[in-house]
Amino acid sequence: MTRRSPVVGSRFRPPVTAVALLVGAAALGVAAALSLEPIVPEANVEHRPIAVSEDEYVSSATCRACHPSQYATWHRSFHRTMTQVATPESVRADFDGVVVEAVHGRPMRLERRGDEFWAEFDDPGWEGAPSDRPRITRQVVMITGSHHQNIYWYSTGHDRALNVLPGVYLLEEERWTPRNAVVLAPPGRGVAMLDGHWNAICIDCHTTHGKTRFDTPFLSEPIRDQAVDTTVAELGIACEACHGPAAAHVAANRNPLRRYALHAGAEADPTIVEPTRLDPQRSSQVCGQCHSIWEFPDAASERAASAAGLPYRPGDELGATRFVAQPRVNGRSEDMQALIAADPDFVRGSFWPDGLVRVSGREYNGLLDSPCFADATEPERTLSCFSCHTMHKTPEDPRAVAEWADTHQVSAGMNGDAACTGCHDPIAADLPAHTNHAAESAGSRCYNCHMPYTSYGLLQAIRSHTVTSPSVRESVEIGRPNACNLCHLDRTLAWSADHLRRWYAQPAPRLDEDESAVAASILWLLRGDAGQRALTAWSYGWEPAQEVSGTSWMVPYLGELLGDPYDAVRFIAARSLRTVPGFETLQYDFTGNRQDRIDAAVGALRAWRNSAQARARRDPELLFGIDGELDTTAMRRLFDRRDTRPLFLRE
Amino acid sequence: MAATSPAPRPDYVGRHLRFGWWSLFVFLLLGATLETLHGFKVGFYLDASNETRRLMWTLAHAHGALLSVVNIGAGLSLRALPDLPGDARVPLISTTLLVATVLLPAGFFAGGVAFYSGDPGVGIALVPVGAACLAIAVFLLARAVTATSRPSNDRAERRRRG
Repeated sequence: MTRRSPVVGSRFRPPVTAVALLVGAAALGVAAALSLEPIVPEANVEHRPIAVSEDEYVSSATCRACHPSQYATWHRSFHRTMTQVATPESVRADFDGVVVEAVHGRPMRLERRGDEFWAEFDDPGWEGAPSDRPRITRQVVMITGSHHQNIYWYSTGHDRALNVLPGVYLLEEERWTPRNAVVLAPPGRGVAMLDGHWNAICIDCHTTHGKTRFDTPFLSEPIRDQAVDTTVAELGIACEACHGPAAAHVAANRNPLRRYALHAGAEADPTIVEPTRLDPQRSSQVCGQCHSIWEFPDAASERAASAAGLPYRPGDELGATRFVAQPRVNGRSEDMQALIAADPDFVRGSFWPDGLVRVSGREYNGLLDSPCFADATEPERTLSCFSCHTMHKTPEDPRAVAEWADTHQVSAGMNGDAACTGCHDPIAADLPAHTNHAAESAGSRCYNCHMPYTSYGLLQAIRSHTVTSPSVRESVEIGRPNACNLCHLDRTLAWSADHLRRWYAQPAPRLDEDESAVAASILWLLRGDAGQRALTAWSYGWEPAQEVSGTSWMVPYLGELLGDPYDAVRFIAARSLRTVPGFETLQYDFTGNRQDRIDAAVGALRAWRNSAQARARRDPELLFGIDGELDTTAMRRLFDRRDTRPLFLRE
Repeated sequence: MAATSPAPRPDYVGRHLRFGWWSLFVFLLLGATLETLHGFKVGFYLDASNETRRLMWTLAHAHGALLSVVNIGAGLSLRALPDLPGDARVPLISTTLLVATVLLPAGFFAGGVAFYSGDPGVGIALVPVGAACLAIAVFLLARAVTATSRPSNDRAERRRRG
């Protein structure tokens, strides 16, 4: 008898269970795919600016294939997230049924609709009676900022024009605040909230190769009569912003033999710009294309840029297509006079009276006025942006990429004295002999004396990027806080002048009675302008300054600023006050109503008077009497001499 | 006059079975090593800046393991088909397959040891050589197997002619 295989000769039966499982899995897969939101192709998006690949720009997605390491570190940088489409991943604020009181006008109501973000608020474009101002409901489609603030942009409903929400979300504080309160501006003076504002203004430096594409100049007619077809090569600051358009580079390097020949040689690839290989001037201009105060040379240039994008390409001479404002160099030029004619406070709102830049984000201006750049004669000993910063964290850098990004992308080892001692090596050999401070102290850190916190932006003080030497004269004649007294907050200008005279043979300037007798920081807080007050209030919370100056005496002065007319000054004062022991839990809302703010300030003062801190210092320089009582009469006298000229810092 | 005895034929079956199993063992160890690097999140292997190394070593592991199996398959094929025609060029098949089994994973591995950002190191040059050897080996073996199976087709033809 022939044994038959159990399969041969019998009918094939499909494994029912396996088939059922397969069909079930397929059905689940189809259901899951159908439940996903359909991805709208970028070209089909109609209500916001879109990213398009044109003019030889290929986008960072293409660069990634060959430069994964550089892509990865850039991807974690705040350059990439300078501008983002509003998505559940990019929006940091809670929109789910939230009512935001902290806006001008009636409260703003936020709403999540699936993956969309919507807001209802007072129509900022209303031109009728304020009492009749209507409410509008708009979809939030874009975000600028991801490090300190999220500024949200809504679709106006007209072409691709955007406008800004009346509230800004502060990331560290995790709170909303009025748009006008996050800039240092006089009370009642708001920042522009215009339909098309982002398209016309922000696009130049917050995207890569942006094209405004207004058919007529912005504000030349009502925007509802204008066509706005804004495009960018990429939202945010991407690879090609610094390396230039890369289509030719990509095409050439499809050839592996070419790539390996380049790897083996020392020559730069001529098909792409490598900013660190440019000379210090041109390499710094790559950063300066955004980190500077600039304007179009004429109206025709602006119109051309609107249609075709800014003409500057990395490696070009920046000045050939831009007017970079430098009061020290071109203060009397026609271009500068035109700027002043359009905005009489332009110079004061951006520069100190001696022409040094005073606002953040314009570090190239600071570099231009630095002797290490301006007076250098050898390229290898010329300061450039890349002397201290790197756009791609190197594998040798032990820091986490998040830390590198959070600390302004300073290169490994360059967040200390090495940034300076590379050239100034004799000083490094005996640091205390130069600094007259202990070698390990904050007073021996090059940055603290030569790049003090005298620029302002984003509700904080920023290091000046003009390398200078401290002098009392700059404080007396210019009004800029000097490095000595920004750390030694409890000392007078006369004290600093005496030390600078003895240590560095600096001639002591003529000082008035208060400058000789009252701590410089108190003078800046009480009688300074809003910019000086903001910088000084920030320094009151700066750890090295607190260590050397103590904090027990600060409360009445910071408390005074809790009632400052400038929102930003109040915010900074409150933040510094919360760093003083005993005041960490201070309940104070800088945008709250006036009476609440007064009550909070009075409460803080009362708590301080009842603490041992109130009698810890009896220095006359701090306006304390021998009995430890605060000389409020002197405070009032200085307060009455305050520089109350309106100041709007154009950060 | 004594008859000249033919040169002993190398044991190709045993060669490929031994080589296949031992190389499979080696690439199993490589796989376990890579998994360990994953498990302990070793930056040398996993960091974004080492993406090229991770890809190259993964390819080395995958090609090595697969070619080990191919060697075992080749050994079993040679055993199953002892009557390969004289022009089967078995020595060439065997040599090129062994060379490919070494060069392909070695090229990928070396390409990941030192590399240029998105481009593997120069060791990657071994890969196309190995790939050519593999193509030769597979082509010749496929041709030999086809030729060996023809006689049965001839018999079927004769039966049809009756």
